[in-house]
Amino acid sequence: MNQSNETIDTEIVKRYTDQPASMPGEVRTAIEGAWGGRPVQLYALVDLDAGLRLCEAWLALGPTDVAIARKRDGAWSVDSFRRDRLDGVREAPGLSGSTLTFLGEPDEPALAIVRYTHRQRRAVENIRFVLEQELEGRTVPEADPDHEYAASVAAPIREAQALVAGNPSAVLWRLLGYLKRYRAQVVIGFVAATLITAVSLVPPFLAGIIIDDVVRPVQDGVITSAEGAAVAWLAVGAMAVVYLVRQASALVRLRYMAILGEWVARDLRNELYEHLQRLSLGFYSRKKTGSLITRVSSDTDRLWDFLAFGVVDVSLSAVMLLGLSGVLLYLDWRLGLVMVLPVPFFCWAIWKHGEHMNQFFIRAWRKWSGMTDVLSDTIPGMRVVKAFNQEERETGRFIERNVDVTDEFNRIHDSWTTFWPILMLAVHGTTVALWAFAMPRLLGTNGTGPSLTAGTFVQFLLYTTMFIGPIEIIGQMARTVQRATTSAHRVFEVLDTEPEIVDATEPRRLEPVEGRIVFEDVSFGYDGVRQVLRGVSFTVEPGEMIGLVGPSGGGKTTVTNLIARFYDVTAGRVLVDGVDVRDLETGHYRRQIGIVLQEPYLFHGSVTDNIRYGHPDATPEEVIEAARAANAHDFIVKLPQGYDTVVGERGQNLSGGERQRISIARAILHDPRILILDEATSAVDTETERKIQEAMDRLVAGRTVFAIAHRLSTLHKASRLFVMKDGRLAEAGTHEELLAKEDGIYTTLHSLQMELQVGGSDAVDTTH
Amino acid sequence: MVQISTKQAGALTLERRRDGQIWATLGDAESPVRVHRCFPWSEPGRFLSLRDADNEEFALVESLESLDGETRAVLEGAVAEAGFVLEVTRITEVDEEVEIRTWKVETRQGARSFQTKLDDWPTGVPGGGIVIRDVAGDLYHVSDPRSMDERSRKWLWAFVD
Repeated sequence: MNQSNETIDTEIVKRYTDQPASMPGEVRTAIEGAWGGRPVQLYALVDLDAGLRLCEAWLALGPTDVAIARKRDGAWSVDSFRRDRLDGVREAPGLSGSTLTFLGEPDEPALAIVRYTHRQRRAVENIRFVLEQELEGRTVPEADPDHEYAASVAAPIREAQALVAGNPSAVLWRLLGYLKRYRAQVVIGFVAATLITAVSLVPPFLAGIIIDDVVRPVQDGVITSAEGAAVAWLAVGAMAVVYLVRQASALVRLRYMAILGEWVARDLRNELYEHLQRLSLGFYSRKKTGSLITRVSSDTDRLWDFLAFGVVDVSLSAVMLLGLSGVLLYLDWRLGLVMVLPVPFFCWAIWKHGEHMNQFFIRAWRKWSGMTDVLSDTIPGMRVVKAFNQEERETGRFIERNVDVTDEFNRIHDSWTTFWPILMLAVHGTTVALWAFAMPRLLGTNGTGPSLTAGTFVQFLLYTTMFIGPIEIIGQMARTVQRATTSAHRVFEVLDTEPEIVDATEPRRLEPVEGRIVFEDVSFGYDGVRQVLRGVSFTVEPGEMIGLVGPSGGGKTTVTNLIARFYDVTAGRVLVDGVDVRDLETGHYRRQIGIVLQEPYLFHGSVTDNIRYGHPDATPEEVIEAARAANAHDFIVKLPQGYDTVVGERGQNLSGGERQRISIARAILHDPRILILDEATSAVDTETERKIQEAMDRLVAGRTVFAIAHRLSTLHKASRLFVMKDGRLAEAGTHEELLAKEDGIYTTLHSLQMELQVGGSDAVDTTH
Repeated sequence: MVQISTKQAGALTLERRRDGQIWATLGDAESPVRVHRCFPWSEPGRFLSLRDADNEEFALVESLESLDGETRAVLEGAVAEAGFVLEVTRITEVDEEVEIRTWKVETRQGARSFQTKLDDWPTGVPGGGIVIRDVAGDLYHVSDPRSMDERSRKWLWAFVD
């Protein structure tokens, strides 16, 4: 983990939890003082006291001691015991809290008992892991205690949220930064939108002038009809020009901004997808596929909407409100104030209503989830529903939830259908107030004679109708901006993730790859302290087939992940033909590796496309040859559209065995030097297994192969077998050599499977 | 595994020993155990699974009431510990931001803030009230949302029926 990740973890702990972001200095001093200066190597907050009340106490691990610091009478008191007195650690997990007991010698009192909520569990488990390893005679490399603590506490929040430490306004500016490369279009769009706003103010203005300077003078005989008509026609022409300019600007604005938004969304989508391809598998194990797909599709779409319309609408509504206010105050400041003063109140009311509605929407969303839960429960499980004759109950459940949803949405409709008419009433109220203030001045009944012209009055009436639109947009601005920043956060989180696997500055290429694989004291952990592989060493010669066997969680898949350099080792080296994999050009190296998985993944496309996925230039002859070798040719030809049959998620339904054989054909055509088979023959019937096995035998010939298998019978061709257990290479040798070890793990596995086969259920996985 | 019914209950003894663990004795067999409630919400005091060090069931106690004396007291203590959840007494704020919702609450055990995912909803529990599960897996029980103060109820309104 790099520096910025550490900072983010610390920030998360500070911002989201009520606990310190690291062990307070005074606690550390007290503990290290009690240990004679020896340093704290790992620590965790233990936040429940003996009465199960929340408290602040610290559990710390040192080179030779374990300590618990508790606050007593305002000072930190440290209880400590030596690690060599420890006989065992027992965790009793509960619903929301766990108890950890440090056991001393049998019949001796417990060395310590601590209690903590689930939030602290990862950090406590790190300490427990180190102690348990020590009891088994293993050591764990030292880690940075502050980092491990913050990472453990922050992890669940990080997993739940995108880029939590991001500052919303910084994210917004960064998003607007994407407009920079289209500066000309942005300027044109804004100029057009400003023009629309400006010319919109002209028609009411002209109407006032016509009334005061043309109609009334003509009616009063001050000017002749002919003179009046000349000015009036000029005004008519001006109106026509105004509307022409307005609509032309609207066209320019809509088109430019819509297109511009699409360009930015396209740039973001490309950048995202390109980045996703560069990210290491570690990233994909942390993020859900659905969430990543949403980021590339819906989030960028929402950003398009915001950039194309949101930005302009919001900024121009503000300009419009200012412009209107300015014009009204200029025309008649007293009447202007009547109109302008309530505007902030209206904006506030709309914002407040939005906030209020948010609660309604959360409720409706919850009810909606309840209803869709029934669908996602029952539609895929329809066989079970029918088998247990529960159709009626399920229908009842759905109807109940559907009624709930409808009630909730009707509540929302009740709310907004009440709010808007009331708001409009208030707006019209200001118009009535305008009339009330204007009338005495218009008619001169206030004793000072008429002080307001009919034209100005009409201008006001027309302008008041223009307030509503911008008020609405400004009132909803907070939500528009919030939605955009949320999407931007999610997009930027992906863009900001650095690939964990990077090529060396001058990477090497092996040409050709021989396939000699050496593990030199390799240790590896997917996260901080917990190690999945511990000091694994072996040498595999080119062309050897190695069977990886052993219990689940033993580290078999991890070995293959390290060979393919999906992850980098935490200690030791993986050498291919004598070169550290970290010094190789990853792309070139991976082209020499083939992988066949237990659940083969076929992409949407034809059978041919799938077979030549790693070798797009293969000829039809080569494709058929590979398919024949994979025992797939026959069934492919029987498909209605043969090799052109579309398969994949939305394509032809193939059985597991058929998909497997297509993936073997793909691997054969790819012609890798190193081949990884991850339980490639499980979960198929015996006949299919035989066909796959034949295909597999052809595939492995002449390559270095690592085959993970639960059923030992599939490994009859293996040159040697590696038994992985608890992250160690527990046994290695040929089938016969391993069977010669009477109490060996392999011998036990083998006899268990033989018993089951005799029992006639050879497809049962015995190692779980 | 032995299921302890009311009649057989006398055969089982539980004691908290010096080593800090609860030891169960049943006939000749004895083992340090911890308690797992089979129905933590609907039958909190019944069907208590006693698990040994390998997490295998040592015995299943049908009901706390079938035990007496020290055994019952020890088991009651262990059940309380195993069933510990934070009991919310007041909600001071619920705030939403990118993908998570932050709750600030007061509980019987002390004040606490926690996060839930935006689409994770509180669930009703058989014994009454609702339970909110935070991103770390901690549970927050609101035993009677209706009896809370007005402000808490206002915050909770969107989340309870």
